[in-house]
Amino acid sequence: MTDTVKKRLIKFLVSLIIFGIAILIIVYNLRDNIVYFYSPSEIIENNQTGSQIVRLGGLVESESVVSDGDSIFHFKITDGQEQISVKYQGILPNLFAEEKGVVVEGIYMNDRRFIANKVLAKHDENYMPPEVIKSLKETGKWQE
Amino acid sequence: MSLTLSYIANSLLILCLVTSIIQSRFLFKTQNYNLLSISQISAIQFLSILVSFFILIFLFITSDFNFDLVYFHSHSEKPLIYKLSGVWGNHEGSMLLWILILVLFNFLFSLSKSSSKKFKEITVAVQSLMIFGFVLFLLLLSNPFNTNNENFNDGLGLNPILQDPLLAIHPPILYIGYVGFSLIFSLSITGLLTNEVDKKWATIAKPWVFAAWSFLTAGIALGSYWAYYELGWGGYWFWDPVENASLMPWLSATALIHCVVVLQRKNTMQSWTMVLAILTFSLSLVGTFLVRSGVLNSVHTFASDPGRGLYILIFLFIILSTSFFLFALKSEKINKPSLHNISSRNTGIMVNNWLLISILIVVFLGTMYPLATDLLYNQSLTVGPQYYAISITPIIVLFLFFMILSPQLSWRESKLLKILYEMRYILISCLTITFLTSLYYDLFNFTEILIIFLSLILIISSLSSGLNFKSTKVILKSNFGQSIAHAGFGIFMLAVVSNAVYSQEKIYDAKVGSKLQLEEYIFDFKNIEQEEKDNFNSIRAYLSLSKNGKNLGEFSPEIRFYSDPPTITSETSIIHQFFSDVYVVMNVPQNQESISLRLHIKPFMNILWLGVIMIILGGIITAILNRKKYEENAIN
Repeated sequence: MTDTVKKRLIKFLVSLIIFGIAILIIVYNLRDNIVYFYSPSEIIENNQTGSQIVRLGGLVESESVVSDGDSIFHFKITDGQEQISVKYQGILPNLFAEEKGVVVEGIYMNDRRFIANKVLAKHDENYMPPEVIKSLKETGKWQE
Repeated sequence: MSLTLSYIANSLLILCLVTSIIQSRFLFKTQNYNLLSISQISAIQFLSILVSFFILIFLFITSDFNFDLVYFHSHSEKPLIYKLSGVWGNHEGSMLLWILILVLFNFLFSLSKSSSKKFKEITVAVQSLMIFGFVLFLLLLSNPFNTNNENFNDGLGLNPILQDPLLAIHPPILYIGYVGFSLIFSLSITGLLTNEVDKKWATIAKPWVFAAWSFLTAGIALGSYWAYYELGWGGYWFWDPVENASLMPWLSATALIHCVVVLQRKNTMQSWTMVLAILTFSLSLVGTFLVRSGVLNSVHTFASDPGRGLYILIFLFIILSTSFFLFALKSEKINKPSLHNISSRNTGIMVNNWLLISILIVVFLGTMYPLATDLLYNQSLTVGPQYYAISITPIIVLFLFFMILSPQLSWRESKLLKILYEMRYILISCLTITFLTSLYYDLFNFTEILIIFLSLILIISSLSSGLNFKSTKVILKSNFGQSIAHAGFGIFMLAVVSNAVYSQEKIYDAKVGSKLQLEEYIFDFKNIEQEEKDNFNSIRAYLSLSKNGKNLGEFSPEIRFYSDPPTITSETSIIHQFFSDVYVVMNVPQNQESISLRLHIKPFMNILWLGVIMIILGGIITAILNRKKYEENAIN
């Protein structure tokens, strides 16, 4: 083994090790910061209550939006099979409307209650989050 | 009329296709038949695309709804400038713009005198092969000149959120950046083919790579500024997949520009420069096309035709596999043994290259992970912004450290203690400033203090290395571009950290006549008005802002209801002060009595944009001053 090849091999191995460690740290970190997406049926099935932040998506049920002042809103999200009551304090995005698709982020509280700290804004009124389309298709409620 | 125009435009595109084949002949045989010179054929390529682009503009301005593209993306009542921006506000039109810039770069390079005839011929040939690929894509899969036989009275409009002057210029600027790297890619392929990756190569490539980088930076910054004032979410960067897609080529391009400098000075790091050039262009392609073809879901997505995505993926695969195959063949030949000391500037630049690539990997994993889990496990998820903050912060700290150190190192060999001694005044003053401000503003987070400290040193040491103070005159040194860009990055980081720490936000359910408060600011809610405008109805709230009894200005946030297509948008109202932006967003009124208002204080936003502008300026200055600087260095 010549000197240059040896040198190069060592260089290569050292960078590989540093690289590997870096990737491990990143992936570890990634797993801690994932926000899962569920449909109402899935969230009831999983029943992951407590502190983990998740996203919930579906249609806003008609005539379910109630405001009790101080920017606090209650509404129900449905996927055609199950429904979840959501409580949210804040500004609703412009395109938030009954019978339209919505995605909220927050904590599932069991008993079909959800406390949202974010209602995600989308820009086009015909836009449906892909996750919502997927969950509606799975429950057979999707209409083209 | 419509049919004729469509015929002419398509013929022009085919003309460009044919000339591109002619141009690529240099790759296959060397003998010349000089019917037309390279630059003349490049001029034909450029003109054919330019004219077809003008035809498309003409169609949008005259609202010719016999063209599908105009029908779907324009409307006769739209203001002229948005009819114009509608040309590239859709997939097909933006593709044509992309190709226009591609042929423009090719044409400009064919005119340049910096390279030898053979080198130029091969570069233009490689570039023309790419032009061929893209024009073919345009003709087959996304032809902007498709006509219909219906007689539509009016078009389907353009999303009103995209009706914004900034968004009219954001795509062209960004594209100039992306496409600029296609030329760097062609130069690299030529360098590999001719075994000429050396100082000369770096000198040819440098102005182009710096120009492309500056445009890419400006394009990203414009998009970010748009998101800041238009979306009204109180932020300027959201780690949205599309934003990430533009950040990834930027990170590798930033590594690349430093490599080109090293190559020019020291004739080393050849392989790494080639890898970065190929990587940057590939990421630019991913940035434009995977975004546009609907793989990543977002506002920016125009079309979701799987055929297009497939074409681009195959195209990308061909480019990547051939270029890396070529690289594997040639890397031994182009690499010169590098004889540099571990304490030279090369090392510092190399370390920061690694750090930039680490950030790139963080962003790449964060962007691709959700796609992968969706594909493999059918599990939808998103990666929170926390992931990026936690992963990138430690890298940034190291990055700042080496950014301060590297320019202080000499190209040969340096003594670290000597550097420390030379920097003693800067270090002590920055330490004092950081200590006092932390105390004054109750800042206790170690990482934040550290970043502020390092940013301060970076700003001062960069500025003092680029400016020479001689009694009364200030002389700009040849590394002025670098110094202003580095100082700009320091200012940017300072603003980012301070902004993250001191931003304030509060939501009120407010009645007319009430006074709202956030920190020392008082918001006096005066009035609400309804108005009918040209293509929308608006509700406007009027508030005045005061601090310690002093009036600072008026807010007029607005909600707009567009009819075509039916869309609601909010217009943020911002009062810019030197040290902080104060802004108000209003909600769609849910009842008669009160209205929801969101108040923000965003400190240091002006400073943040100032930093970004300095970074861009630094790039432009370096691109322009390149030749002069090289000559000076040659003398030294």
